[in-house]
Amino acid sequence: MRMVATPDFSRRRFLFGTAAAAAVLAAPGCAYMTPKPNPAATRPVEPKIDGDLVYFNWADYVDPSVFDGFQKEYGVKVIQSNFDSMESMQAKLAAGNRYDIIFPSAQWVQKLTAANQLRAIDPSSLKNAPLIFDHYPYFANPWYDERSSHSIPFSMYKTGIAWRKDKLGETLSGSWSDLWNEKSKGRTFVLDDRDEVMGMLALEQGYGLNTANTDELKTIIDKFRTLRPYLRGFSSDDYNNLLAGDAWMHQMWSGDMASLLSQASDASIYGFEAPKEGTPINSDTYAIPVNAEHPGTALLFIDYMLRPDNVEKNINYIGYPMPVHGTEDTYQEIVGDYPECAVTIEDMSRNLYFTNDSVAKTQARDAAYTEMKVGV
Amino acid sequence: MTLTRPDTSPDAAPEVRPDRPARRERLWTWMLVPGTLWMSVFFVCALLLLIALTFGTTDALGNPRFGSTFDNIVGIFNPTYLRVIIRSLVYAVAASAICLLIAYPVAYAIARHGGRYKNALVALLVVPFFANYLVRMYGWQTLLSDESALMTWLRGLGVPASFHILDTSGAVIGGLVYGYVVFMILPIYASLERMDVSLIEAGRDLYGTSLRTFFAVTVPASRAGAYAGLALVFLPAMGDFISAQLLGGPDNLMIGNLIQDKFFAGQNWPLGAALTMALMILLLICMFAYLRQTARDAKEATR
Repeated sequence: MRMVATPDFSRRRFLFGTAAAAAVLAAPGCAYMTPKPNPAATRPVEPKIDGDLVYFNWADYVDPSVFDGFQKEYGVKVIQSNFDSMESMQAKLAAGNRYDIIFPSAQWVQKLTAANQLRAIDPSSLKNAPLIFDHYPYFANPWYDERSSHSIPFSMYKTGIAWRKDKLGETLSGSWSDLWNEKSKGRTFVLDDRDEVMGMLALEQGYGLNTANTDELKTIIDKFRTLRPYLRGFSSDDYNNLLAGDAWMHQMWSGDMASLLSQASDASIYGFEAPKEGTPINSDTYAIPVNAEHPGTALLFIDYMLRPDNVEKNINYIGYPMPVHGTEDTYQEIVGDYPECAVTIEDMSRNLYFTNDSVAKTQARDAAYTEMKVGV
Repeated sequence: MTLTRPDTSPDAAPEVRPDRPARRERLWTWMLVPGTLWMSVFFVCALLLLIALTFGTTDALGNPRFGSTFDNIVGIFNPTYLRVIIRSLVYAVAASAICLLIAYPVAYAIARHGGRYKNALVALLVVPFFANYLVRMYGWQTLLSDESALMTWLRGLGVPASFHILDTSGAVIGGLVYGYVVFMILPIYASLERMDVSLIEAGRDLYGTSLRTFFAVTVPASRAGAYAGLALVFLPAMGDFISAQLLGGPDNLMIGNLIQDKFFAGQNWPLGAALTMALMILLLICMFAYLRQTARDAKEATR
């Protein structure tokens, strides 16, 4: 089929049309222009219903019956959506999506607060807040959020090592160097997470958890090279790898132990240790974006979530400890035989947190991690 | 996927009144509009954004910002990335070659000996596509894991316990082959199906052995299909990241995984954009090689 073009008509018209279309459609690109500084202060709001709740969190992070209770009690709907990483949460927020409540990790609370993206929260407006702040003084002024003025803690977890007792023995030496285990060669996994892997090596070497020092990064890369022959892979699907039998040893988030233990046909074959060099501690929080349409409902939801009976349901559902007084025993029951899973006040006071750094330093760490990940 | 001959039955063209040529051409031009719009919205504009971001930077929250730096372009000339690009090339070439070896006999069998089941057989080939590629890859992951039924059975047959399939380069290439082999079968099938059987009979009449006839008649006739298949498998395989992510180990990352990392966990869209551009340029070169080859073949055919 031959197209006899009438050049004057089609080509020029076509080019004009395309250029016009491109101009219109390049508009979303404006999102990548440097934005004007945000207005800083937000008016404080009362915890009272001002619309349905637009909720944005990891999938399966809250017991569904807790949502049902909230919808029934207050007669509003919970409109749920999920993210699969902090970065994708940020991408959605940056694209202008409006959510009433989000669950950033400590590190992200700091970033979002610095960028004026979070609404101020007055803990004294929440009935159940004293259950946290009167009993966990640490959260009165955590490193990531001055006086907890933009976030309320949700859960806590640490990173350790899980292993198969039937394959590698009842106990390990209690150090990160346990990952270099001959018997587990080819069946050892590290988490697919830049900060966790580099943090583990930094702790093992006695460096600062968040080092971006060129020499230290080089040592970390070299040290990782000696671990590579032992590795089966990078994966954040820790408990599934253990359950499938692919992993005999896994760098693991303490919170996932509960899932492992509840799904294993024989839970007694698994062990968990918190290495003595220290374990990164992390916490997730409740926060309200500055552009939330229903901040009142969001505050009410936080208060509702902090009721001890709801906290207990959530602990049982996701297996992460939560800093709410009166629920400590619930978590103990789940991981009773694994005391090293618990996140204690001493753990928190060691200050092993993943913190934020300049863009250049973050990119230096990312480049080092890429090199580690790719290998030879 | 059947190829219907042009319909030449008399009642198909009742009254062919020649339209005025200008109006006809306008009609053809208008028919281009939906496709052009679609491509400019979802491809050209996205591509322009990507090119612009190649010179961009990142802010403290990890958001990409337009800029005018060449750091990202310099950044991709890093031995780490080059090594991964070469590895991806090797995997994609291996996957394309294996696909060709698997697809040709299948296409041949269906096209020449499928008889009245031809269309049903082709339809069967497409059935796995009812389930998403990602879901099927998770299926393979479960099937190949060390304590899966399959591996337990293999060990029962005397395969050493240290042997595993998951997290090896073989599994990654296997995943690519599994994912894209249909794109090889269909074009080869189409070219074989379209081939005139009397040509083979002529070859035999001229005392060619069946093998000789195959190489002298059938292979050249299906070459265009095979080239199309190679292009259809190689191009997506080169950019694939799911197979390496789900079936590969630490030494099997492909360039697609690195790009994905830059856009998600790494929060470095500008570097991701630069890597994407590099990959696209590489694929474009391969595409030109394909176009030149098919053009040369077409010229030979008309001679």
